Amino acid sequence: MSRLLVVDDEANIRLLYAEELKDEGYEVVTAANSAEAAEKLQGSTFDLAVLDIKLKNESGIELLQKLVKERHDMPVILCSAFSCYKDDFSAWLADGYVVKSGDLTELKQEIARVLAKKAQKAKAGA
Amino acid sequence: MDRGCCWDSKEIEQADCPRISEGEEELLVSKRQRNLEKCSDCPRFLSDLNRLREEANPLAPVLINLLAEYNRQKTQIQSLISFLDNKTLEIRFLHELGYVLQSSVNLDEVLSVALTAITAGKGFGMNRAFLLLCDREEGVLKGYLGLGPRNLEEASQVWDEILQNDMDLQTLAQNFRLNKLSSERAKFHDVLEQLTIPLSNKEHIIIKALDGKRPVMVEGAFRHPDVPPELARLLGVDAFLLMPLISRNRRVGMIIADNCITHRTITEEDMRSLETFSFPVAFAIERASLYDKLQVELNRVTEAGKKLKEQQELIVRMENMALVGRITSSIAHSVRNPLMIIGGFARSMLKNSPESDPKRTFIESIVAETRHLEGVLDEILNYSDSLYPTRDFWDVNQLVETALRDTADTLTSLGYATAYIPGQELPAVYIDFKQLSYCLRTVLQNDITGLGVDRSIVITSQRGEECVILRVEDHSRHISQAELDHLLVPFSETRDLGAGLGLALCKTMLEKQGVPFVAQADLHEGIRYSITLPTRKEEQP
Repeated sequence: MSRLLVVDDEANIRLLYAEELKDEGYEVVTAANSAEAAEKLQGSTFDLAVLDIKLKNESGIELLQKLVKERHDMPVILCSAFSCYKDDFSAWLADGYVVKSGDLTELKQEIARVLAKKAQKAKAGA
Repeated sequence: MDRGCCWDSKEIEQADCPRISEGEEELLVSKRQRNLEKCSDCPRFLSDLNRLREEANPLAPVLINLLAEYNRQKTQIQSLISFLDNKTLEIRFLHELGYVLQSSVNLDEVLSVALTAITAGKGFGMNRAFLLLCDREEGVLKGYLGLGPRNLEEASQVWDEILQNDMDLQTLAQNFRLNKLSSERAKFHDVLEQLTIPLSNKEHIIIKALDGKRPVMVEGAFRHPDVPPELARLLGVDAFLLMPLISRNRRVGMIIADNCITHRTITEEDMRSLETFSFPVAFAIERASLYDKLQVELNRVTEAGKKLKEQQELIVRMENMALVGRITSSIAHSVRNPLMIIGGFARSMLKNSPESDPKRTFIESIVAETRHLEGVLDEILNYSDSLYPTRDFWDVNQLVETALRDTADTLTSLGYATAYIPGQELPAVYIDFKQLSYCLRTVLQNDITGLGVDRSIVITSQRGEECVILRVEDHSRHISQAELDHLLVPFSETRDLGAGLGLALCKTMLEKQGVPFVAQADLHEGIRYSITLPTRKEEQP
């Protein structure tokens, strides 16, 4: 079972993601900010992280940069309310990008795609 | 002594003196005036004087001497009067010339006046003149204009015409400028072409005259040691005048004048008169040239002022856009998150509710409404996004292939077949890639209903003049031109937000980038879109 870390400052969004992604067969751990995310990451492994780009008082992009640097084996999918973040070069560090929507189909597809890619890469590396 | 003449009579009759003509009747009653004007060289008076000498009158030789001196001085005075008359005419001519030269800032007008003055009979009466101007940038003295007949036949024709029309200098010059300037330039083109001399060629007689700032009279040109044989052959005359045009100690140009038709000798007097004339001409030429340059600079300053104003407006617009950006960003986060939560949970509930649940319809309504609101939000955000075109050079094929890839799933699910026919050797286009991608995607998968039997979309690209034309032919969607035009108006009264603003938004986005977007509808053929992508970097519209 793949372990996912969901970082979003909105409690209800965290809840929605957790419910929906659990239904898809993933183990989901949530965090409200980067400090909490760092805490959850401590001593644990995750197969993928889903990050909100705009967290309260901090930027998801900064957290993304930190994760890419420290946990380069963990792919990250960015979620945002605003499509223009696609043009932010820093956002290109992410493995996937999804515009937030009540319809989580795209997010689920993106998670599946990125995990499959990671698995393929690991297989090729082995 | 018997008088043989009327010289001593106080009053005479007309018949008494054959020397008094009609109109000189006052001399009949004025003895003094008659003596001064008519008697001094009258043979009958001289005869009376000789008789007096024969009679050994001692006054006779004295009177004869006085009379001879009187006549000599009278002739001299008449000659001086004639000279003064000529000078008066010359001054009048120079005054007229000066007036015309001073009042004009048009180089061709000044040159026309100058060359007309040199060659007109009312002016200096030379047969032909060439004007050479200094080109400081190229470092040459260059043949600019010629005026005069090339042969005797043409000379007779021109001079007859001038005599018949009796035009003053200004009219002659104006006539020349309006009717003959181009033809004279063409007529002397071969000569003017060869009259280009580097200013560095200090040994050339023309450059020497220019540097010396003094006129040079050349006689015996074909044998003259300082005259290059090719110059003598080119002009075809043995004598010509080189008149440098100097203004404020600066070299402006050179006039070459000659009498190639009449071969009249060019006198020292001609040279001096032309020299006097050359100063205002040089000044006028320089002033006209400076005026031209000033005009160019003025245009530049005007253009710079215009650009500055545009920049100021752009700054204000950008500030407004930044404000709009902040507002839309805030809306994005303030609205999308709650919408997502409502829609997400509603979908979740719907997924887990049995088909028989009577509340399922309510949940379905929530899902549909949130989907609609998300559509509205997307359109608003895309519209605000269109306010920031960021352009660069991009590959058209990449643009089309990206749009086709992004829309492949949707179009395939609708049973569409797409094809792209790229043009040959397409240059890079200067566009906002993201906005153009959006527009192409929207054109490919817009929500126009009325799907026809032929579900095919063909995209072609073609190189145009400073552009690449992208054409999208959608054979499936049938709509009237009026309806399509209506769809291209953003936020039109009859359309609600979220009801598919895509095409209108595309038009707005493309217009902001200065990219022409044309959509033509045919109820039978479908819709043809044409997007003209610029290949040249231009100012932001």
